[in-house]
Amino acid sequence: MPPNEELELLRERAKRVRRLIVRLAATPSGCHLGGSLSLVEILVALLGRVMRIDPRAPGSAERDHLILSKGHSAAGLYAALAESGFFDPEELVRKYNADGSIFTGHVNSQVPGVDFSTGSLGHGLGLGVGLALGRRMRGEPNRVYVICGDGELGEGSNWEAIQVAAHHRLSQLTLIIDRNGGQNDGPTESILPQAALVERLEAFGFHTLEVDGHDLHALCEALEAPTGTSPRAVIARTRKGAGLPMLRGKSAHYAIFNAEQLRRALASMGEKTR
Amino acid sequence: MTANPMTGPDLASDPQGWLNENPGLSNRQIFRHALTRFAEDESRVVLLEADLAGGGDPFAARHPERFRNVGVCEATMLDMACAMAHLGNIVFTHTFAPFGAMRACEQIRLGMAYPRANVRLVCDYGGLSGAFFGPTHHAIEDLAILRAMPGMTVLSPADGLETLLATRALIDFDGPVYMRLGRNRVSRLEAPRDGFEIGRARCLQEGTDVGIIAHGEVGVGVALEAARLLETRGISTRVVNMHTLKPLDEATILETAERTGLLVTVEEHNVLGGLGGAVCEAVCEHGLGRRVVRIGIQDRYDATAGSHEFLLLGHGLDGGLVAQRIMECLPRPRLVALAPDPGRS
Repeated sequence: MPPNEELELLRERAKRVRRLIVRLAATPSGCHLGGSLSLVEILVALLGRVMRIDPRAPGSAERDHLILSKGHSAAGLYAALAESGFFDPEELVRKYNADGSIFTGHVNSQVPGVDFSTGSLGHGLGLGVGLALGRRMRGEPNRVYVICGDGELGEGSNWEAIQVAAHHRLSQLTLIIDRNGGQNDGPTESILPQAALVERLEAFGFHTLEVDGHDLHALCEALEAPTGTSPRAVIARTRKGAGLPMLRGKSAHYAIFNAEQLRRALASMGEKTR
Repeated sequence: MTANPMTGPDLASDPQGWLNENPGLSNRQIFRHALTRFAEDESRVVLLEADLAGGGDPFAARHPERFRNVGVCEATMLDMACAMAHLGNIVFTHTFAPFGAMRACEQIRLGMAYPRANVRLVCDYGGLSGAFFGPTHHAIEDLAILRAMPGMTVLSPADGLETLLATRALIDFDGPVYMRLGRNRVSRLEAPRDGFEIGRARCLQEGTDVGIIAHGEVGVGVALEAARLLETRGISTRVVNMHTLKPLDEATILETAERTGLLVTVEEHNVLGGLGGAVCEAVCEHGLGRRVVRIGIQDRYDATAGSHEFLLLGHGLDGGLVAQRIMECLPRPRLVALAPDPGRS
């Protein structure tokens, strides 16, 4: 569990990641804003504390793996990687969707710190199961963290992968569900609700915890709990568009901000603007 | 699967001797034994199955630590394979062609082709070989689909020896590969071969009137039989075994066009998008202005029961029917010229 001073640093980093995401929303291409903002604390907890990674050696054989299965939240991942030292945040803003750049609108494996390109939903968990099994077959302890959206759980391939992970007792694997309650066309509740998620994951054989996904303390505690003999699922209750009051109650799946919206957004997040 | 790859002639150093010792094996069984043997010398080889390994898989028995049966989860099997290849493994995955190539199609695209992963998807039940099990178990579109994916290598070996040699080639190969096998045949081509090279077609016999380009257990066998029948009518036939559909050996296609009067493709695949389509593309691209007769599955599903041979006959995939079709397609002056010359028949 992180000491208070470290928690404070992580909270500061989360704020910087949010501001960076908002700046990406203000580029000509915009970004998947709501779902990028909802997983900020999850990413900050993983990259800032829980995972064994080295931004200076992103391909190190000793690294833990992070797969953002909800690859449309690329802006969130890129911003979190930038604020974790993998590359320069200003370079990200400059090159985001620039011609020929690696910063595509869905996650690109050429970006430092990224193992797999994602964006088509329902692949990340299968990839994570392969990594965890492959690492285990080689006798290596590297841990694997997969972040899925709740809307994404509609894809049947996730439930294939969940069964395989449970049967093979892949305790190196952690599935984190960004339970922000929204999907492309609206609330999951009205489109395809994911009822009784804890019970279902437990029934499938995952040790399952549910936490406030914006509480860094609670997230770290859940993600750092001792490893058992089964894979783990952490359901992170989050809000789409979290940290940006102007998005409250609005559909913010995708956004392209103009200059005025950017100014308001940054001001609402406590950033001084000229 | 009774053959024991660990006794008798060594499969790796004496493939033909090993095949002679084990004459009853189908190509898909030969693949399993070959992979089991080659994995002895390459510790990075891993095999994943999706509940269609059948009983007594030799790889599972010999290398249990490198074998996993993931259950009826084709999509997950291929995503897992991508990740395991990412860690440095050479990952073989196996299932039936319709489920591997089509149910898990997007996993192939995003888990194999896009990252150029060292994953080999080896599928049996290619074409109509699933016969009476019905169209759910046929794969007549797989080659067209996979050929369209950037970076994919697509193989369709013609007999046991070629399957064995292709399996060996897949160990060292870099990049994603789909290898399609049949289900039933215990085929053995009576054709001399000097090894196997991915992307390099084999001319099995020279000829000048007709050039047949074929792939796979059925296609090449039917082509050779048709050529034999045509010879008896005085028609000289070149037969090319295009075991690699991608990358396509265009040089051999151009050479065949140059040396013969009529181009014909024969394959156990829909006439759209497979070898027939690929040869047409090459012939048009190079501006040859030549006719290509595509013999293959006639763009329909076979919803009736029957043996493999029965279903193939319905699409003209038979030596006699192919020879007859070619006779009908040959330029008329050639036929007229042949007619008064009984000495040549």
